[in-house]
Amino acid sequence: MTRVIVITSGKGGVGKTTTSASISSGLALRGFKTAVIDFDVGLRNLDLIMGCERRVVYDLVNVINGEANLSQALIKDKHCDNLFILPASQTRDKDALTEEGVEKVLKDLSHQGFDYVVCDSPAGIERGAVMALTFADEAIVVSNPEVSSVRDSDRILGILQSKSRRAIEGREPVKEHLLITRYAAKRVEEGEMLSYKDVQELLRVPLIGVIPESDDVLQASNQGTPAIHLKDSDVAFAYQDVVARFLGEDRPLRFVSYEKPGILKRLFGGK
Amino acid sequence: MADASQGKLIEFKGASLAVMTAYVRETDAVRLADAMHMMMGGMPDFFAGEPVVLDFSQLTGAPDWVDWTAITSLLRRYQVQPIGVRHLPGHLHEGARRANLALLGQEGMSAERPVVTPQPAAPAPQPEPVAAPAPAPAPEPVAEAQPTAGSSVAPTLIVERPLRSGQQVYAKGGDLVLLAGMSPGSEVIADGSIHVYGPLRGRALAGARGDTSARIFSTNFGPELVSIAGVYRTFERGIQQNVAGRAAQVRLIGSDNQHTLEITPLQNDH
Repeated sequence: MTRVIVITSGKGGVGKTTTSASISSGLALRGFKTAVIDFDVGLRNLDLIMGCERRVVYDLVNVINGEANLSQALIKDKHCDNLFILPASQTRDKDALTEEGVEKVLKDLSHQGFDYVVCDSPAGIERGAVMALTFADEAIVVSNPEVSSVRDSDRILGILQSKSRRAIEGREPVKEHLLITRYAAKRVEEGEMLSYKDVQELLRVPLIGVIPESDDVLQASNQGTPAIHLKDSDVAFAYQDVVARFLGEDRPLRFVSYEKPGILKRLFGGK
Repeated sequence: MADASQGKLIEFKGASLAVMTAYVRETDAVRLADAMHMMMGGMPDFFAGEPVVLDFSQLTGAPDWVDWTAITSLLRRYQVQPIGVRHLPGHLHEGARRANLALLGQEGMSAERPVVTPQPAAPAPQPEPVAAPAPAPAPEPVAEAQPTAGSSVAPTLIVERPLRSGQQVYAKGGDLVLLAGMSPGSEVIADGSIHVYGPLRGRALAGARGDTSARIFSTNFGPELVSIAGVYRTFERGIQQNVAGRAAQVRLIGSDNQHTLEITPLQNDH
């Protein structure tokens, strides 16, 4: 059975695409045949983060409109053999996404033996975002530790409860996970940022991980490499933990407490 | 795709449905429009297409003539679907019939058999969590909506999942129980009392149809707004220390026209 995972948040710029790229890569590294679909029609980014922007020929809307078949549109990832990217269209508008079309694409992916399909949702609560979550089995709600992001995540959780197929058909509800990104333990310590416990208390959704704020993410994006592949990076470790927890493994939270650098470290610098 | 088990394309059966009654005390469309506007304020879709029987038993004055088109279109504007009339003076029957309103109740019986009985025989159906905006603090209502349950106990609406920002629940005619709390930006309305096991962080409006004995309870008090029977309070300057984040109740105290909201901690510490 193919599991459909939506990465969503409501608010923009919180790290949905970074998360989609890393989680889909992480699942593929674990040996699962995985597809990642960019639902952000008109503002596509996933292909850049995955470093395949020069190989885009056909896109999601082409497949929905029958102008290309799925195998033509799927782009094989350069890092993992069993990861495929289905990019969004840059030229169409979001109304090109139809529910029947999306359902057919997901069915076809299922027929091709994919284990996981990761849907990278656009920001907002409009058509693209709703289409991305309609067929989800699980949802990873990405939130930054600040109030407006938490409020928007809450809103999107409500939409999941009312507009997902599982909700409409009265089946078991979409399994919800909370992922907190851009977490700066130092600023939490100083009281400038909500702690991960505050966020979880506000949203009341099981926490699947905390990704620390890091310059590595920007670097990874610029290189077109999903952050999970970075060497010796806290962000990469944190995403590996998220994937492990998603697959049912027990991993303690890391990178959530701030330790003041000792005097030697301050004197001599070093990493 | 015909229904193989029956083969009948249409079937007539008696049914008792719960339906709302609007007591119309005035037939002048302009004055009704003013009153509806006062009552509904900016909530034109409060009724969400509900069918309504117009009851003229409390009519003041004896009009010779009624502008049915004006009244029905006024009601439709507020998403109310008039389906019939009852207790209408005899000389007005013809006009109502021409406006496609069924004549129900004693006077109407001779003309047509009632399709819809206003009083439910069976226990009223559990209302679905319908989206309904808050009624504005209501002056003396012209069209008084009657709870669906006749003599039986009004159903309690229970919501088991957390209520999220942007979601609304309306417990029509009864109490509302939230088992997983509610987030900022969500809204709950009940004609009876509201019980929140968990955080109460959005807007809670109890006694939405004027019940001043309704109360609001929460095990973790932190709302944006509370209201009972139209008396409301916001918390711009924060919530008083002794109840913030704790178990608390809200009720109306005072009498007649001097109601004030009282928020007190619930004494259940050991």
